[in-house]
Amino acid sequence: MFRHLRHIGDLIRKKRLVDPARPFTDARFVVMDTELTGLDEKRDSIVSIGAVRMTGGVIDLGDTFYQLVNPDTALSASSVVIHEITPSEVAAKPPIDAVLAEYLAYASDDILIGHFVSLDLAFLNREMRRIFKHELRNPVIDTLSIHEWLSRRLPPRACFTAPPLGYRLYDIVKGFDIPVNVAHNAIADAYTTAQLFQRLLPLLAEAGIITLGDLLRIGTPFKGNDGLAVSGEFSNF
Amino acid sequence: MGSERNLIIDDTVAFLKKVPPFLSLDDINLQSVARHLFVEFHPKGTIILKQNDAPGDSLRIIKKGSVKVSVISPEDGSEVVIDYRGEGDSFDFLSLMSRDSLRANITTMEDTICYVLGINPLLQLLSTHNSFTEYFLKSHITKYVDRVVREMQDKSTFHSGSDRLLFTTRIGDIANKKVISVPEDTTIQAAARIMANKRISSVIIMDQDNRPQGIVTDRDLREKVVAKDPRVKDSVKSIMNFPLIIVDAQDYCFEIILKMIKHNIHHILVSKDGELAGVITNHDFIMLQGTSPLSLTKDIENQQTIDGLIPVSKKINGIVGTLLKEGARASNIIKIITEINDHLVRKVLLLAEKKLGRPPSPYCWLVLGSEGRREQTFKTDQDNALVYADPATESEAEAQNEYFSAFSEIVRDGLIQCGFPPCPANAMASNPRWRQPVRRWKKYFADWIDNPTQDAVINAVTFFDFRPMYGDFHLAESLRDHLNALLKDKKVFLGHLANMAIRNPPPIGFLKSFVVEKDGEHKDQLNIKIKGLAPLVDIVRLFALEKGVRETSTIGRIEAMRNLHTMVTENADALEHAFEIIMLLRIHHQFEQIISGQEADNFIYPNRLSNLEKRSLKEAFHLVTMMQNLIIERYKALIW
Repeated sequence: MFRHLRHIGDLIRKKRLVDPARPFTDARFVVMDTELTGLDEKRDSIVSIGAVRMTGGVIDLGDTFYQLVNPDTALSASSVVIHEITPSEVAAKPPIDAVLAEYLAYASDDILIGHFVSLDLAFLNREMRRIFKHELRNPVIDTLSIHEWLSRRLPPRACFTAPPLGYRLYDIVKGFDIPVNVAHNAIADAYTTAQLFQRLLPLLAEAGIITLGDLLRIGTPFKGNDGLAVSGEFSNF
Repeated sequence: MGSERNLIIDDTVAFLKKVPPFLSLDDINLQSVARHLFVEFHPKGTIILKQNDAPGDSLRIIKKGSVKVSVISPEDGSEVVIDYRGEGDSFDFLSLMSRDSLRANITTMEDTICYVLGINPLLQLLSTHNSFTEYFLKSHITKYVDRVVREMQDKSTFHSGSDRLLFTTRIGDIANKKVISVPEDTTIQAAARIMANKRISSVIIMDQDNRPQGIVTDRDLREKVVAKDPRVKDSVKSIMNFPLIIVDAQDYCFEIILKMIKHNIHHILVSKDGELAGVITNHDFIMLQGTSPLSLTKDIENQQTIDGLIPVSKKINGIVGTLLKEGARASNIIKIITEINDHLVRKVLLLAEKKLGRPPSPYCWLVLGSEGRREQTFKTDQDNALVYADPATESEAEAQNEYFSAFSEIVRDGLIQCGFPPCPANAMASNPRWRQPVRRWKKYFADWIDNPTQDAVINAVTFFDFRPMYGDFHLAESLRDHLNALLKDKKVFLGHLANMAIRNPPPIGFLKSFVVEKDGEHKDQLNIKIKGLAPLVDIVRLFALEKGVRETSTIGRIEAMRNLHTMVTENADALEHAFEIIMLLRIHHQFEQIISGQEADNFIYPNRLSNLEKRSLKEAFHLVTMMQNLIIERYKALIW
């Protein structure tokens, strides 16, 4: 494991530099999702990490990441119902340390994308700090922020008129007619998020957003508000 | 990365399981296919692929949404939609395989998700799963040939794409190269010399029993000899490729291209009835584009000998087949065939001139009858004549006679070699009677018109459809002027033509059923030339000669008379439609006979026609009857 760490030393410490003037049509993205035992950053932990790679708007089904984690925290009954992951299934899985190292290698220098990604980042960075003494240094963008920005910027249309609590991935993708798998699962949700990002790309072009710099600015992870962080509102757990 | 069950792959496999040809694969293979896929999203109205762009490197399978396949017409830039594809359909297999530039635009009709499969995993599937190859060959390709191209028929007459020929041409038809072989103990150097001398890119290695063992190509000389240590005195056997890949002459070109791609080779042997019949190279497929009408004419232009024209002329019947399969209109088919035949005849004339030197005076080669009307289908008899400038002196007349006599014989024989049989009635320029100076032709015309005997009228209908083919067109134009002047108010002569036009009433009885041959060899058959085509052509010719129309083709004459001849003005569209249907039925009938190895004739079986064909034919015949009645009315006094 420590030998593995030396290999990823760069991945841990290196600050990813992005040319803000470059168009993002051929940029490499890692669209990710984590499943959690709960929403309490102090008490809960990561159950699984799923991710798919995109180049521009193209998803590569041959280059995905999905790993269950042996959690520090016992899975709560409610999250089992949502993820259909039972304690005995994850007990045999590698610890977060190994999975995170693997994930860092997978993510490489790519731009990370998630939906309401600050929640995933909070848990990932907690583990990063604990294990590697650093936080994730990849640029990160949030499909929720992009969707919010576009809905304010572009003329009204079906995909922006989400239901009242329109923050959840599943509510937003309904507006885009993106097919959704029944089971919540880190890789399925990462795929759903990737498809959402695909739909947002032509809208971004329509709004005149072409460069990575603009995308990163618009896509800055959405901080949300505590009122939304109610059990059941997010798919991460 | 990651070892867990992957819901995305599961989801994709579930989709592929419903989509041919993937549904024939087992789960393991489907998982592997899914892991090679990419997912694209294209909003409504996106042009995913653009006509004339470089060939793509992947097959796209529509997961959700739909696309239209359209072609921009080269003539007027309008868009012709040739197909729609929906969920589970794929595109653009064809350009992917042929490596040709894209044939069509692919535009999304709605928001569309595509799975993208790269060429390498696709080739892997094609080479390991017969069901794949079959699917794309049969379903996908016939769909392409039968349906997609059909829509192009109205837009394009001369621009026949070459890719569909890959599916309609048998490899034996283009593999006509002589196979050069060497014994297996030949040295590399000797084999290379043979290849250099004969300007060939491959040589077949034969074993002691003279059976083909392997092949050595340019590429082997490069990769195995020049690039490594030169061993030119070694046996050529040491660098040959084996086992040989041999295909049957009956195979379609497309299958051979697949084999070449699969095996990454550029030379394949073709066998016919167990014998080596030729070597086919990827270059030959480029040449295959030469079987499209447009480049066939280029091919004709490139020939320098009659012998060189023979193989080219053999391809003409094949073109009719291609055009029929494409659903081309009869009028377009005969136009194209006439165009190609014209090139062929002109080339023969040019070669004859080359052989004999400059002609002693200006002349014009005339084509007559159906050739004059641009209405040839399959190879028809020669019908031609020659007009030359009036000689000033006796010696000039002698020189002309000597030259044009030899000239017309060379042309006649050359045309026979190219598959145009001599005219049984000897209506050819090689017959001295039909090889005359202008003044003599004018006299012929005047005699026929003033003294319309049966023979004169028969000659007139053949010769008055004359069209200049080659040489000094002024001579032909002055003949046409003269003819039109002669015909003014020649009611009696026109009356003879009128009698000819009405002599065969269309075979529709009062019971609205076809009157067919009652007995003999052609029982229950209908002679579509005598009972259908000839009356229509005769009617239109009569009208054209009444009005001094210079055009000779039936459709051209109808067009020219739209605002000129009251009987045509009222019925122009119906006349053209009648001509189209009669001609099309005739071409179909003859083509079927030819491909089944029979002599082409004009006897069709009305009871074998589809209901639509029957109805169209009846309408055409009713129109002819109506026109004949109008003619009878008009020429009342002259009808007997």
